[in-house]
Amino acid sequence: MNCDEVEELLGAYALDALPGDVWADVRSHLATCSNHPEAAELRAVVGALAFAAPEAQPSATLKTRLMATVRQDATAVVEVSERIGILARIRKLSARRVVPYALAGALAVALIALVITNVGGGSEQPSRATVSLSGENNASAIAYELEDGIIVVDAAGLKPLDAAHTYQLWSIASGKPSSLGLMGTAPNGEALGVARANIKDIDSLAVTIEPAGGSLAPTTDPVLKGNT
Amino acid sequence: MEVLYERLGRQAFGLAYRILGDGPSAEDVVQEALLTVWRQADRIDSARGRLTSFVMTVVHHKAIDALRSKRGQQARQVSVDFAEVEKTGADFSDRVLQSIASGEVREALSKLPEDQRRPIQMAYYEGLTHLEIAEALRLPLGTVKSRLRLGLEKMRAVIRTGSGDELRRS
Repeated sequence: MNCDEVEELLGAYALDALPGDVWADVRSHLATCSNHPEAAELRAVVGALAFAAPEAQPSATLKTRLMATVRQDATAVVEVSERIGILARIRKLSARRVVPYALAGALAVALIALVITNVGGGSEQPSRATVSLSGENNASAIAYELEDGIIVVDAAGLKPLDAAHTYQLWSIASGKPSSLGLMGTAPNGEALGVARANIKDIDSLAVTIEPAGGSLAPTTDPVLKGNT
Repeated sequence: MEVLYERLGRQAFGLAYRILGDGPSAEDVVQEALLTVWRQADRIDSARGRLTSFVMTVVHHKAIDALRSKRGQQARQVSVDFAEVEKTGADFSDRVLQSIASGEVREALSKLPEDQRRPIQMAYYEGLTHLEIAEALRLPLGTVKSRLRLGLEKMRAVIRTGSGDELRRS
Protein backbone atom coordinates (compact mmCIF):
# COMPACT_ATOMS: atom_id res chain seq x y z
CA MET A 1 0.00 0.00 0.00
CA ASN A 2 1.49 3.36 -1.00
CA CYS A 3 1.08 6.82 0.56
CA ASP A 4 -1.66 7.93 -1.86
CA GLU A 5 -3.74 4.86 -1.11
CA VAL A 6 -3.27 5.39 2.61
CA GLU A 7 -4.29 9.05 2.34
CA GLU A 8 -7.46 8.02 0.55
CA LEU A 9 -8.35 5.60 3.34
CA LEU A 10 -7.32 7.72 6.30
CA GLY A 11 -10.83 8.85 7.29
CA ALA A 12 -12.23 5.33 7.18
CA TYR A 13 -9.13 4.06 9.00
CA ALA A 14 -9.55 6.59 11.81
CA LEU A 15 -13.16 5.48 12.21
CA ASP A 16 -12.24 1.76 12.16
CA ALA A 17 -14.52 1.55 9.12
CA LEU A 18 -12.23 -0.63 7.05
CA PRO A 19 -12.27 -4.41 6.71
CA GLY A 20 -9.76 -5.89 9.17
CA ASP A 21 -7.06 -6.77 6.64
CA VAL A 22 -7.15 -3.34 4.98
CA TRP A 23 -7.16 -1.64 8.38
CA ALA A 24 -4.07 -3.66 9.35
CA ASP A 25 -2.32 -2.70 6.08
CA VAL A 26 -2.93 0.99 6.74
CA ARG A 27 -1.74 0.63 10.31
CA SER A 28 1.44 -1.13 9.19
CA HIS A 29 2.12 1.62 6.66
CA LEU A 30 1.60 4.36 9.25
CA ALA A 31 3.94 2.63 11.68
CA THR A 32 6.88 3.14 9.32
CA CYS A 33 5.94 6.22 7.27
CA SER A 34 6.21 9.81 8.45
CA ASN A 35 4.18 11.31 5.58
CA HIS A 36 0.86 11.17 7.43
CA PRO A 37 1.23 13.23 10.60
CA GLU A 38 -2.49 13.97 10.66
CA ALA A 39 -3.40 10.29 11.16
CA ALA A 40 -2.96 10.31 14.95
CA GLU A 41 -4.99 13.51 15.25
CA LEU A 42 -7.83 12.09 13.18
CA ARG A 43 -7.88 9.08 15.51
CA ALA A 44 -8.03 11.48 18.44
CA VAL A 45 -10.98 13.27 16.83
CA VAL A 46 -12.76 9.94 16.51
CA GLY A 47 -11.96 9.21 20.15
CA ALA A 48 -13.65 12.48 21.06
CA LEU A 49 -16.83 11.36 19.27
CA ALA A 50 -17.46 9.12 22.29
CA PHE A 51 -18.35 12.29 24.17
CA ALA A 52 -20.81 13.48 21.56
CA ALA A 53 -23.36 10.92 22.77
CA PRO A 54 -25.64 12.27 25.51
CA GLU A 55 -25.04 10.98 29.03
CA ALA A 56 -27.63 8.56 30.39
CA GLN A 57 -28.35 7.04 33.79
CA PRO A 58 -27.83 3.28 34.06
CA SER A 59 -29.84 1.25 36.55
CA ALA A 60 -28.61 1.03 40.14
CA THR A 61 -27.86 -2.66 39.69
CA LEU A 62 -24.95 -1.90 37.36
CA LYS A 63 -22.92 -0.36 40.16
CA THR A 64 -23.86 -3.21 42.51
CA ARG A 65 -22.74 -5.80 39.96
CA LEU A 66 -19.49 -3.99 39.28
CA MET A 67 -18.58 -3.63 42.93
CA ALA A 68 -19.44 -7.28 43.62
CA THR A 69 -17.10 -8.39 40.83
CA VAL A 70 -14.32 -6.15 42.11
CA ARG A 71 -14.73 -7.68 45.59
CA GLN A 72 -14.52 -11.17 44.06
CA ASP A 73 -11.32 -10.17 42.24
CA ALA A 74 -9.86 -8.88 45.50
CA THR A 75 -10.73 -12.15 47.26
CA ALA A 76 -9.02 -14.12 44.53
CA VAL A 77 -5.88 -12.03 44.95
CA VAL A 78 -5.86 -12.73 48.69
CA GLU A 79 -6.27 -16.46 48.06
CA VAL A 80 -3.35 -16.50 45.65
CA SER A 81 -1.24 -14.57 48.16
CA GLU A 82 -2.07 -17.11 50.83
CA ARG A 83 -1.14 -19.96 48.56
CA ILE A 84 2.14 -18.34 47.66
CA GLY A 85 2.71 -17.91 51.39
CA ILE A 86 2.82 -21.69 51.63
CA LEU A 87 5.85 -21.60 49.38
CA ALA A 88 7.85 -19.76 52.03
CA ARG A 89 6.85 -22.35 54.61
CA ILE A 90 7.83 -25.22 52.32
CA ARG A 91 11.22 -23.62 51.79
CA LYS A 92 11.78 -23.61 55.55
CA LEU A 93 10.67 -27.21 55.88
CA SER A 94 12.91 -28.19 52.99
CA ALA A 95 15.93 -26.45 54.48
CA ARG A 96 17.63 -29.79 54.98
CA ARG A 97 17.88 -29.93 51.21
CA VAL A 98 18.36 -27.00 48.94
CA VAL A 99 15.19 -26.55 46.97
CA PRO A 100 16.32 -25.63 43.45
CA TYR A 101 15.35 -22.08 42.65
CA ALA A 102 13.92 -23.11 39.29
CA LEU A 103 11.60 -25.49 41.02
CA ALA A 104 10.26 -22.78 43.27
CA GLY A 105 8.41 -21.20 40.35
CA ALA A 106 7.05 -24.54 39.27
CA LEU A 107 5.95 -25.14 42.80
CA ALA A 108 4.06 -21.86 42.96
CA VAL A 109 2.26 -22.81 39.77
CA ALA A 110 1.58 -26.27 41.14
CA LEU A 111 0.14 -24.79 44.29
CA ILE A 112 -2.28 -22.68 42.35
CA ALA A 113 -3.11 -25.49 39.94
CA LEU A 114 -3.93 -27.76 42.80
CA VAL A 115 -6.44 -25.24 44.09
CA ILE A 116 -5.50 -25.74 47.66
CA THR A 117 -8.19 -24.20 49.79
CA ASN A 118 -8.70 -23.30 53.43
CA VAL A 119 -5.09 -22.48 54.01
CA GLY A 120 -4.80 -20.45 57.15
CA GLY A 121 -1.95 -18.16 58.07
CA GLY A 122 -1.18 -20.05 61.25
CA SER A 123 2.10 -20.38 63.06
CA GLU A 124 5.01 -22.26 61.56
CA GLN A 125 4.55 -25.92 62.44
CA PRO A 126 6.96 -28.76 61.74
CA SER A 127 5.62 -31.41 59.40
CA ARG A 128 3.37 -33.76 61.33
CA ALA A 129 4.14 -36.92 59.43
CA THR A 130 6.84 -38.01 57.08
CA VAL A 131 7.34 -40.91 54.72
CA SER A 132 10.76 -41.98 53.50
CA LEU A 133 10.97 -43.20 49.92
CA SER A 134 13.97 -45.01 48.50
CA GLY A 135 15.09 -46.34 45.15
CA GLU A 136 18.07 -47.54 43.15
CA ASN A 137 21.31 -45.57 42.73
CA ASN A 138 20.84 -43.68 46.00
CA ALA A 139 17.65 -42.00 44.84
CA SER A 140 15.55 -41.03 47.82
CA ALA A 141 12.77 -38.74 48.90
CA ILE A 142 10.99 -37.50 51.96
CA ALA A 143 7.29 -36.76 51.95
CA TYR A 144 6.18 -34.17 54.49
CA GLU A 145 2.65 -33.63 55.62
CA LEU A 146 2.50 -29.87 55.50
CA GLU A 147 -1.14 -29.40 56.44
CA ASP A 148 -4.05 -31.75 56.70
CA GLY A 149 -4.52 -32.90 53.14
CA ILE A 150 -1.32 -31.39 51.72
CA ILE A 151 1.92 -33.26 51.26
CA VAL A 152 5.26 -32.16 49.86
CA VAL A 153 7.59 -34.69 48.29
CA ASP A 154 11.23 -33.63 48.20
CA ALA A 155 13.34 -36.03 46.12
CA ALA A 156 17.03 -36.27 45.21
CA GLY A 157 19.23 -38.55 43.15
CA LEU A 158 16.76 -38.94 40.31
CA LYS A 159 18.20 -39.21 36.83
CA PRO A 160 17.29 -36.34 34.50
CA LEU A 161 14.64 -37.31 31.95
CA ASP A 162 14.27 -36.36 28.31
CA ALA A 163 11.37 -34.18 27.16
CA ALA A 164 9.27 -37.21 26.32
CA HIS A 165 9.14 -38.44 29.94
CA THR A 166 8.24 -37.19 33.37
CA TYR A 167 8.20 -38.32 36.97
CA GLN A 168 4.76 -39.00 38.38
CA LEU A 169 3.81 -39.30 42.02
CA TRP A 170 1.31 -41.93 43.18
CA SER A 171 -0.48 -42.75 46.38
CA ILE A 172 -1.38 -46.38 46.91
CA ALA A 173 -4.26 -47.44 49.12
CA SER A 174 -5.60 -51.02 49.31
CA GLY A 175 -3.37 -51.87 46.37
CA LYS A 176 -4.93 -49.21 44.16
CA PRO A 177 -2.69 -46.42 42.81
CA SER A 178 -4.00 -42.86 42.43
CA SER A 179 -2.05 -40.13 40.67
CA LEU A 180 -0.93 -37.23 42.85
CA GLY A 181 0.52 -35.31 39.91
CA LEU A 182 3.76 -34.78 38.01
CA MET A 183 7.11 -33.78 39.43
CA GLY A 184 9.57 -31.45 37.72
CA THR A 185 13.22 -32.45 37.91
CA ALA A 186 16.26 -30.23 38.16
CA PRO A 187 19.44 -31.18 36.26
CA ASN A 188 21.05 -32.16 39.59
CA GLY A 189 18.43 -34.85 40.12
CA GLU A 190 16.31 -33.00 42.66
CA ALA A 191 12.56 -32.89 42.31
CA LEU A 192 9.73 -31.43 44.25
CA GLY A 193 6.06 -32.34 44.22
CA VAL A 194 3.10 -30.90 46.09
CA ALA A 195 -0.14 -32.82 46.25
CA ARG A 196 -3.46 -33.11 47.99
CA ALA A 197 -3.44 -36.29 50.01
CA ASN A 198 -3.86 -37.47 53.60
CA ILE A 199 -0.97 -39.65 54.65
CA LYS A 200 -3.19 -41.47 57.13
CA ASP A 201 -5.44 -42.62 54.28
CA ILE A 202 -2.73 -44.18 52.15
CA ASP A 203 -0.52 -47.23 52.46
CA SER A 204 2.44 -46.07 50.40
CA LEU A 205 3.80 -43.44 48.06
CA ALA A 206 5.61 -44.14 44.80
CA VAL A 207 7.26 -42.30 41.94
CA THR A 208 7.35 -43.74 38.42
CA ILE A 209 8.67 -42.58 35.06
CA GLU A 210 5.79 -41.93 32.67
CA PRO A 211 5.33 -40.44 29.20
CA ALA A 212 5.24 -36.62 29.19
CA GLY A 213 1.87 -35.47 30.39
CA GLY A 214 1.53 -38.39 32.78
CA SER A 215 -0.48 -41.60 32.80
CA LEU A 216 -3.80 -42.62 34.26
CA ALA A 217 -2.12 -45.58 35.99
CA PRO A 218 1.57 -46.46 36.50
CA THR A 219 3.12 -47.99 33.40
CA THR A 220 6.58 -48.66 34.85
CA ASP A 221 8.02 -49.98 38.10
CA PRO A 222 8.56 -47.35 40.79
CA VAL A 223 11.91 -45.62 40.91
CA LEU A 224 11.03 -44.51 44.46
CA LYS A 225 8.74 -46.15 46.93
CA GLY A 226 8.00 -45.88 50.65
CA ASN A 227 5.38 -47.12 53.08
CA THR A 228 3.50 -44.83 55.43
CA MET B 1 -13.68 1.25 40.79
CA GLU B 2 -16.27 3.32 42.60
CA VAL B 3 -14.45 6.51 41.61
CA LEU B 4 -14.13 5.32 38.03
CA TYR B 5 -17.82 4.48 37.92
CA GLU B 6 -18.92 7.77 39.47
CA ARG B 7 -16.72 9.67 37.04
CA LEU B 8 -17.59 7.85 33.85
CA GLY B 9 -20.60 5.62 34.43
CA ARG B 10 -23.22 7.96 32.92
CA GLN B 11 -21.02 8.95 29.99
CA ALA B 12 -20.06 5.34 29.27
CA PHE B 13 -23.64 4.13 29.55
CA GLY B 14 -24.81 7.00 27.33
CA LEU B 15 -22.41 5.93 24.59
CA ALA B 16 -23.21 2.24 24.87
CA TYR B 17 -26.94 3.01 24.87
CA ARG B 18 -26.57 5.28 21.84
CA ILE B 19 -24.94 2.40 19.97
CA LEU B 20 -26.98 -0.57 21.19
CA GLY B 21 -30.36 1.01 21.85
CA ASP B 22 -31.25 -1.17 24.81
CA GLY B 23 -30.41 -0.71 28.47
CA PRO B 24 -29.47 -4.25 29.59
CA SER B 25 -27.06 -4.79 26.69
CA ALA B 26 -25.55 -1.35 27.23
CA GLU B 27 -25.04 -2.10 30.93
CA ASP B 28 -23.34 -5.40 30.10
CA VAL B 29 -20.95 -3.57 27.80
CA VAL B 30 -20.18 -0.88 30.37
CA GLN B 31 -19.55 -3.49 33.05
CA GLU B 32 -17.22 -5.46 30.79
CA ALA B 33 -15.36 -2.34 29.67
CA LEU B 34 -14.87 -0.88 33.14
CA LEU B 35 -13.66 -4.22 34.49
CA THR B 36 -11.26 -4.57 31.54
CA VAL B 37 -9.76 -1.18 32.32
CA TRP B 38 -9.81 -1.81 36.08
CA ARG B 39 -7.84 -5.03 35.69
CA GLN B 40 -5.18 -3.25 33.60
CA ALA B 41 -5.10 -0.16 35.79
CA ASP B 42 -1.45 -0.56 36.72
CA ARG B 43 -0.46 -0.30 33.04
CA ILE B 44 -2.42 2.83 32.32
CA ASP B 45 -1.34 6.41 32.83
CA SER B 46 -4.32 8.16 34.33
CA ALA B 47 -2.87 11.63 33.72
CA ARG B 48 -4.48 14.41 31.76
CA GLY B 49 -7.74 12.76 30.92
CA ARG B 50 -6.10 9.95 29.00
CA LEU B 51 -7.75 7.37 31.21
CA THR B 52 -11.13 8.88 30.41
CA SER B 53 -10.45 8.72 26.69
CA PHE B 54 -9.19 5.17 26.96
CA VAL B 55 -12.21 4.00 28.95
CA MET B 56 -14.57 5.50 26.39
CA THR B 57 -12.61 3.91 23.54
CA VAL B 58 -12.94 0.52 25.21
CA VAL B 59 -16.68 1.07 25.76
CA HIS B 60 -17.07 2.03 22.11
CA HIS B 61 -15.22 -1.01 20.81
CA LYS B 62 -17.10 -3.42 23.02
CA ALA B 63 -20.45 -1.86 22.15
CA ILE B 64 -19.73 -2.05 18.42
CA ASP B 65 -18.61 -5.65 18.74
CA ALA B 66 -21.83 -6.45 20.63
CA LEU B 67 -23.87 -4.69 17.95
CA ARG B 68 -22.13 -6.54 15.14
CA SER B 69 -22.64 -9.79 17.00
CA LYS B 70 -26.37 -9.02 17.30
CA ARG B 71 -26.47 -8.48 13.54
CA GLY B 72 -24.69 -11.78 12.98
CA GLN B 73 -21.54 -10.02 11.79
CA GLN B 74 -18.00 -10.81 12.86
CA ALA B 75 -16.31 -8.66 15.47
CA ARG B 76 -13.88 -6.22 13.91
CA GLN B 77 -10.18 -7.06 13.77
CA VAL B 78 -9.30 -3.79 15.43
CA SER B 79 -7.32 -3.55 18.61
CA VAL B 80 -7.80 -1.06 21.41
CA ASP B 81 -4.39 0.35 22.09
CA PHE B 82 -3.75 2.62 25.02
CA ALA B 83 -0.35 3.55 23.60
CA GLU B 84 -2.11 5.16 20.65
CA VAL B 85 -3.79 7.64 22.97
CA GLU B 86 -0.32 8.82 23.86
CA LYS B 87 0.93 9.17 20.27
CA THR B 88 -1.06 12.31 19.68
CA GLY B 89 0.87 15.47 20.46
CA ALA B 90 0.30 16.92 23.91
CA ASP B 91 -1.06 20.21 22.51
CA PHE B 92 -3.66 18.52 20.38
CA SER B 93 -4.58 16.14 23.20
CA ASP B 94 -5.18 19.13 25.45
CA ARG B 95 -7.31 20.77 22.78
CA VAL B 96 -9.35 17.59 22.39
CA LEU B 97 -9.99 17.49 26.13
CA GLN B 98 -10.99 21.16 26.17
CA SER B 99 -13.31 20.60 23.22
CA ILE B 100 -14.94 17.68 24.97
CA ALA B 101 -15.41 19.66 28.17
CA SER B 102 -16.87 22.65 26.38
CA GLY B 103 -19.25 20.59 24.26
CA GLU B 104 -17.43 21.70 21.11
CA VAL B 105 -17.08 18.15 19.81
CA ARG B 106 -20.81 17.53 20.00
CA GLU B 107 -21.52 20.85 18.37
CA ALA B 108 -18.92 20.30 15.67
CA LEU B 109 -20.47 16.95 14.76
CA SER B 110 -23.98 18.34 14.71
CA LYS B 111 -22.95 21.22 12.46
CA LEU B 112 -21.27 19.10 9.82
CA PRO B 113 -23.17 19.00 6.54
CA GLU B 114 -25.55 16.05 6.56
CA ASP B 115 -23.72 14.29 3.72
CA GLN B 116 -20.57 14.21 5.87
CA ARG B 117 -22.15 13.72 9.29
CA ARG B 118 -24.29 10.75 8.30
CA PRO B 119 -21.43 8.51 7.05
CA ILE B 120 -19.40 9.37 10.15
CA GLN B 121 -22.32 8.45 12.41
CA MET B 122 -22.88 5.22 10.50
CA ALA B 123 -19.25 4.27 10.94
CA TYR B 124 -18.92 5.34 14.56
CA TYR B 125 -22.29 4.52 16.10
CA GLU B 126 -23.37 1.67 13.85
CA GLY B 127 -20.02 -0.01 13.27
CA LEU B 128 -20.37 -0.09 9.50
CA THR B 129 -17.40 -0.31 7.15
CA HIS B 130 -16.99 2.17 4.30
CA LEU B 131 -18.22 -0.52 1.91
CA GLU B 132 -21.38 -1.09 3.96
CA ILE B 133 -21.98 2.66 4.17
CA ALA B 134 -21.58 3.05 0.41
CA GLU B 135 -24.07 0.26 -0.14
CA ALA B 136 -26.57 1.64 2.38
CA LEU B 137 -26.39 5.19 1.03
CA ARG B 138 -26.09 4.02 -2.58
CA LEU B 139 -23.00 6.10 -3.10
CA PRO B 140 -19.75 5.29 -4.89
CA LEU B 141 -17.13 3.99 -2.47
CA GLY B 142 -14.77 6.84 -3.36
CA THR B 143 -17.42 9.37 -2.35
CA VAL B 144 -17.86 7.74 1.04
CA LYS B 145 -14.09 7.68 1.61
CA SER B 146 -13.76 11.37 0.84
CA ARG B 147 -16.80 12.39 2.92
CA LEU B 148 -15.52 10.49 5.95
CA ARG B 149 -12.14 12.16 5.59
CA LEU B 150 -13.55 15.64 4.93
CA GLY B 151 -15.92 15.51 7.89
CA LEU B 152 -13.19 14.41 10.28
CA GLU B 153 -10.80 17.04 8.91
CA LYS B 154 -13.35 19.74 9.65
CA MET B 155 -13.82 18.51 13.19
CA ARG B 156 -10.06 18.39 13.60
CA ALA B 157 -9.77 21.97 12.46
CA VAL B 158 -12.49 23.06 14.90
CA ILE B 159 -10.69 21.32 17.75
CA ARG B 160 -7.35 22.84 16.71
CA THR B 161 -8.58 26.40 16.49
CA GLY B 162 -11.47 26.24 18.94
CA SER B 163 -13.51 27.99 16.28
CA GLY B 164 -16.57 26.92 14.38
CA ASP B 165 -15.50 28.94 11.34
CA GLU B 166 -14.21 25.80 9.67
CA LEU B 167 -17.69 24.33 9.69
CA ARG B 168 -19.14 27.26 7.86
CA ARG B 169 -16.64 26.72 5.03
CA SER B 170 -18.28 23.56 3.81
